[in-house]
Amino acid sequence: MAKSIDPDFAGESKGSSKPGDKRIHLVVVTPERTVLDTLVDFVAIPLFDGEAGILPGRAPLIGRLGFGELRGRVGDTVDRYFVDGGFAQIRDDSATILTARAIPAKDVDVAAAEEDLRALESTKATTELASADRDRGLARARGLIRIARNKG
Amino acid sequence: MAKARAIIKRRKAIENIRKITRTMELIATNRFKKALNRATEAAAYTRKIAELVAELGRTDQEVSHPLLIAREPVARSLILVLTSNRGLAGGYNSNVLRAATGRYLDDQTGGIEPKLEVAGKRGIGYYRFRKITPQETYTQFEDKPQYSEVEVLADRYIRMYLTGAIDRLDVAYTEFISSSRQAAVVRTLLPVSGLDLGSQPAAKGAEPALEKAEPLAYEFLPDARSILEEIVPVSLKVRLFKCFLDAAVSEQIARMVAMGGATKNADDLAKSLSRQYNRARQNQITRDLADIVGAAAALE
Repeated sequence: MAKSIDPDFAGESKGSSKPGDKRIHLVVVTPERTVLDTLVDFVAIPLFDGEAGILPGRAPLIGRLGFGELRGRVGDTVDRYFVDGGFAQIRDDSATILTARAIPAKDVDVAAAEEDLRALESTKATTELASADRDRGLARARGLIRIARNKG
Repeated sequence: MAKARAIIKRRKAIENIRKITRTMELIATNRFKKALNRATEAAAYTRKIAELVAELGRTDQEVSHPLLIAREPVARSLILVLTSNRGLAGGYNSNVLRAATGRYLDDQTGGIEPKLEVAGKRGIGYYRFRKITPQETYTQFEDKPQYSEVEVLADRYIRMYLTGAIDRLDVAYTEFISSSRQAAVVRTLLPVSGLDLGSQPAAKGAEPALEKAEPLAYEFLPDARSILEEIVPVSLKVRLFKCFLDAAVSEQIARMVAMGGATKNADDLAKSLSRQYNRARQNQITRDLADIVGAAAALE
């Protein structure tokens, strides 16, 4: 799997030598249902301005999410999800991710995302509102494509 | 004998109808359970968002968002009516439609220019009959409304509100209060009135109050205010989604109750027809016997 050559994975595996000490309770909730409710050793969340890695014992945090990859690692297995904006709350070794959509990385539809990207790039936003919409759409499409490519 | 046979025929028809209504009742019960499960699962998100808002509220931020600003006077309003695609659900659709049309006519007399959007074939048919043309119609929402579908609508309403195409958004739907009580209501979703999502009672009784003795010192990324502002449109979407979920649950309950009543009526009718038939048959026999006895007496 690609994770062994993932550049930032090396940094994540710090805690792997002594697993099971302390874990993070990762909960991913969408408006429809609770997608994920597990214990993980490490979780990487896509904040609005970049990725943040969370290990057990993290100070409380509330953050806005961007469009990107959510990774939860248990031992040597990594679960990857595409997260469609939203919010994250970290407290007492539990991470709650509130998002409109959480798509498992393998289910991401690259072709559709690329099409969206092309369509958005060719449109011109004339008002402030449309421009914000366009930026949002672009960020989303790029996030989707990035995560799809990442699986190698 | 003709009368007795006619009664039998009718009873058979009623028994067939009873079979259908009974099956529909069972199906509705099943769907109701599924819809309720979905609604309960969806409540987790609402609860978490409310928790976040509570945490953020502690920081005493002044939230300003265009969706929170009410515009006076209201010149254009939009009413979204949630009805079902199928009938045989008792008063479910007519209650919603009465509430929605009431608001529509109120708006018209109040000098507001109301627009109408209708979900569900029943509502579409009703407004065709009333010769009111809805702006948009939807038939894709069945008993399992998808968040992604609802989000598209919400995004469009947000855009309409921000560009000034509408000054108010109302949703007419059947609110699910408990499994024995549902009410057709018209709720104003835009402008967003405050951020407390607890304004709508949760599906299964009151949630435990989110009170924590020790407030945690959170790190806010980027900052509490901008997170709160980001929550505003999300809370609108969640509320709209909740309307759809409520409507779906209520529809199944209404159908369940209606079909339960129909089954019971069919039972009663079949019983009384059986009685009528027995009496008719007995009369027939008595008459035949009298004939035979009469004939025998004449022969002697």
